[in-house]
Parts: sequence; C-alpha cells; structure tokens
Amino acid sequence: MSELEICNITKDYGPSRALHPVSIAVERGEFVTILGPSGCGKSTLLRILTGITQPSGGEIHLGGKRIDQAPPEARDVAMVFQSYALFPHMSVAGNLAFGLKMKKVRKDERARRMAHALEICNLAGLVDRMPRQLSGGQQQRVALARAIVMQPSLLLFDEPLSNLDAKLRDTLRHELTELHRRIGATSLYVTHDQAEAMAMSDRIVVMNEGRVVETGTPLELYRAPKHVFTATFLGQTNLLPVVARGAEAQLPWGQSVALDAPATGDIQVSVRPENIDICADEAGSGTVCAVSFMGANALYTVEIGGRRIRVSQSGVEHLIETGRRVTLQFPGPVHRLNGTTAQEAA
Amino acid sequence: MNALAIETASMPRRRVFTPEDRILVTIGLYGALILAIAVPLALMFLWSIADGWSPPLIVPKDYTTARWAGILGDGSLIRATVNSILIAVVVTVLTAAIALPTAWAMARFPFRLKRLVEIFILAPVIIPGLVVAVGIGQVFLLFGLAYSVTGVILVQIVGTLPLMIRLMTATLETIPDDLIHAARSLGAGTVGIVLHIILPLAVPGLLAGGLMSFIGSFEEFDKSFIVGAPVVETLPIKLYMYLDPYSMQLPLASIVSFILLLPALVVFIVAGRILRDDLMAAGMGKI
Repeated sequence: MSELEICNITKDYGPSRALHPVSIAVERGEFVTILGPSGCGKSTLLRILTGITQPSGGEIHLGGKRIDQAPPEARDVAMVFQSYALFPHMSVAGNLAFGLKMKKVRKDERARRMAHALEICNLAGLVDRMPRQLSGGQQQRVALARAIVMQPSLLLFDEPLSNLDAKLRDTLRHELTELHRRIGATSLYVTHDQAEAMAMSDRIVVMNEGRVVETGTPLELYRAPKHVFTATFLGQTNLLPVVARGAEAQLPWGQSVALDAPATGDIQVSVRPENIDICADEAGSGTVCAVSFMGANALYTVEIGGRRIRVSQSGVEHLIETGRRVTLQFPGPVHRLNGTTAQEAA
Repeated sequence: MNALAIETASMPRRRVFTPEDRILVTIGLYGALILAIAVPLALMFLWSIADGWSPPLIVPKDYTTARWAGILGDGSLIRATVNSILIAVVVTVLTAAIALPTAWAMARFPFRLKRLVEIFILAPVIIPGLVVAVGIGQVFLLFGLAYSVTGVILVQIVGTLPLMIRLMTATLETIPDDLIHAARSLGAGTVGIVLHIILPLAVPGLLAGGLMSFIGSFEEFDKSFIVGAPVVETLPIKLYMYLDPYSMQLPLASIVSFILLLPALVVFIVAGRILRDDLMAAGMGKI
C-alpha cells in the first residue's frame, strides 16, 4: 500500500461537481506534482487533504490510516500556503514553535527540531524577526520551515512560488528540490506552472476540469503523452491528424513519417517543435511565416499544407528568413496520441 | 498653444512636500490642538477657581478653591466614583465578551439578512439615548431590575455594545482565512486558535473598543439615571446633581467636567503605554 492513497474522492458544490472521482497514490518519500490550469480542482483536492474542506465522497488513507473524516488538527499533514499564512504577531521562532507547542512536543525536542528546520531553510539569522520584517522569499522559507518542523507524514504545497518574482522563484525551486532530497518527506505539490512541475517532480498528475487526465514521470508525460490535453499543457507541441498504415503514417500534406506505435486509419499525432528539422529549400512545400531567435534556439512558424507548424532549431548559425521556402524533416518517429480521434482534437 | 501645453504638462499638479514645510504643518497641527483642547481646558480651569467673573472683566476678579474643596470633600462622591469604576469595568468586560463572538459571526459567515442585522446592531446608536432609556426603564421595572446595579450595567451595555461590535468586526475581518487554516493544520483546536491566533490579533480592536466602552460607561448619564437613580449613584448622576437648572453655574459645571474628564485621560495614557502606536491606529482607524 502506498503512503498516501486518495480513492475516488469527489466534491460537489450544490449541483456542480468540482471533483469527479479522483484517485492518486503517492509512495513514501515521493515528490508528486498535481498540474493543471486554474479551476481544475487541484486546490480543492489539497484542501480536502488538509481537512479544511470535506469531500462529498471517497476515502483518503495516509500511512495506512483512514484520515478523510479526521479534523485538520488530528491529521499528520502540514501545508505550505500560497499566501504563506504566517502568524503576523509571532516572530519566526514563534511561528515555528506554534505547531510543536500545539502537538505538545517536549521543550528540548522542540529546540532541536527548530534548530534543524532553521538550518536547512537558511533562516539562522532571522529567528527573532517578525514576518513583516522579512522579504517575500524569506517569508516563503519560514512557511516552509514551519511545515517541515512538524515532520509530517505528508507535506503539501499550494502553489508556494507563485507570489515570487521569476528569478527568486528559480532559486527557491532549486532550494525546494534540494530540501526534498535531504529530508525525503512525502510531498504533494500543486501548481499550474508546467516548467516548475517538470523540474521538481518524481511524478506529475495532470488534472483538468475536476478529473485526473494522466499520471507519469515528467519524461514520460513530455515524450509520450496519452492525451491531447497533456501534450498541449506540458510544453509546446504540434497536433496533426494523420492517416496511419501500420508503422507509417501520412501527414496532411502528403509527407510520410514513422510512428512510435503502429496503428491504422485516422489518428492524431503530437510532434514537439524540437523534433522537427527545418531546411531551406527553394523547392520545399513550406514557407516560413515567423522567426524568433531565443538565444539557445530559434523558433520558426512554418506554413505547410494550410497548417502552421512550430519548429525549434537549436545551435543555429544562420537564421532562415521569413518568406523563404523550406522542407520539414522528421528524424525520429512521431508520437501517436491514444484514446483520441482526429475529430475530437479538431 | 503648443508651448503652453508643454508647460502645463511639465508642471507638477501638486506641490511636493519639502522638509521646510514641516514647520508650517507643525504649527498648524499644534495650533488646532491648542484651540480644540488646551484653550477650553484652561478656560474651564479658570472658571472652576474664579470668584466673580462677570462680562467686562478679562480675568476673574478673585480666585477661590472653596468650590473644589466643597465637592471633593463630599464623601458620597468617593463612593459614587468607586461605583462608577466598578460598573465601567464590568460593563467593558461583558461588552467585550458579548461582542467578540457576535463580531466573529458578522466578520466570517455570510448569512441571510446580514445587512438588517447590522442595522439592528447599530440601532441603539441611531435612536436617542433617552428614548432607549425610557423604553428599557419600563421593561426593567416589570422585571424588577430597576434601581439595581445589575439594571444599570445591563442598560449601559445596550449603549456600549454597538461600537464594540463594529470595531471588533472590522478587526476580525482583517484576519485571513488561511491563517486559521494554517493554525488548524498545525494542530490547534478551537480553543488553541481563539487563544493563540484570534485574541492576539484582535487586541488592537479589543483595546480600542474597550477604551470606548469604559469611557462610555463611566460618563453615561441618561440611561443610568432613568434606570438606577436615586438608589444607584454613579459619578455622572452625582455630579449632574450639582448643576442647578435654575441658575446655570459655570464654575460648578467646570469642576464636574474636569472630574469626568479624568478617567478618559488616565485610560488613554495607560493604553498609549501598553500599545505601540501602529497597533492603536490600526484599531482606531477602522471604524
């Protein structure tokens, strides 16, 4: 049995259903991210896990015990809030000590745990500061320390980095990953930022409209997504309807490509921009409509067979100008999406 | 035309505040303070010790402390003062105890007819005190609460509660939900949350409201008079007795005002010492 088992949890608000039966399993020490656009039910799920919100149905087991009926204070769960939710009238030390005092942890043990949490969150010099005297990044680290000092069975993160500026977010993301490696707490992280999810997680659970779309490692989900939603939400991709004949398929403009899984009939494939090669060719059937040079790579939008295809080329020495004729090549097999027909994607 | 447009655009709409302006602002503020508080107080003090001060005279003809001695020498005045302080303390504590849960509900939960309830809470402030007093006086007579300290305390709470609830609601509305959720998930039960999170964060509102209630109770006259007099004697009731309606005596009125002013002064100074300025302002500024 996994450390955390979410079984068929649902949530209804009156007649509208915020969560369709959702089931997620998280192994001990795993870092799992729930990724989805805003309003997909990921925050509701997190609130149900902390006990702030009651589920309409289903069960939650943590460490073998059923917890979905337990009040928040009786669950071995700690959460890092998006708004940090630091107690403004308590110093950093007071914030950290609060939970330990509430759980009646002995004084020497308390001091030991606090010292440890302060050290791993780089807060050593800020113990006596009040929250309002701290910067956003520091407040975020205090919120994190306050959660890990509890040594919970499950650590929850509700978009903890979304209130920080891009550079700080990057730094804290690294710190968080490093921290998870050191303390190894079972963690569930909620975000709408696919880059964050891919960089940090052992596994990603993609959610949309109150349902789990699919689950997998960042690499699996990026390279071989099953669903259109995953393919488009994680990074950029080109969705193309093709006619499959076994291991080969014909693109809408007649070109033949290899498929990664054999199929027949009308199917849909997802091709990442970086898996397409572009080549200037006066006899080519494509036309470059737009070029943007990003430094590490160049992004082309190519019009071919009435469609616009995004192509990314890395290590460019010469840019192909707008309006030039090009040919596209597909060096590897293209990825076939499961469970969706061309009509659904259109 | 063009040049004009450029000139208006480059001119700041408002003059920037410079350090040199500080002296003017200081003079203005202190001037207002002197006019509003110091001058009336000085005049009152002069009146209280004046012995003969009729219109053509700029300053009193003579000075006397006889009236002060007369009033302060009245033994029943001490008793009335003690009465008033005790009543004010009980009223303040009870007001806070009733207002806190009410304000919590008003601040936290949406419910039907909330606007109507808000108006009802403020009703005792909108309706003149005397009307409230007469109405309640009748009811208290029926219940046997008239002429009792309990009755006076209850009738005063009617007057102090609205402001306290308003102040507490405003304070509690500023506590984010996430703070409560965080405390709960950190293991705090209801008692823990009230003791360690809500009460400490409500302190500015509680103190501001408490001061208002204390002073409001201490200086309350009409309701206490109708319900309690002549059996229950509070300081205002006692002091108003000194004022003879047939010959308005400014000297006596001045002394009465001074005595009634004293507790307000003491309470504000004490509160100022306890509270840091920003907290006090936070509580006071959100009425």
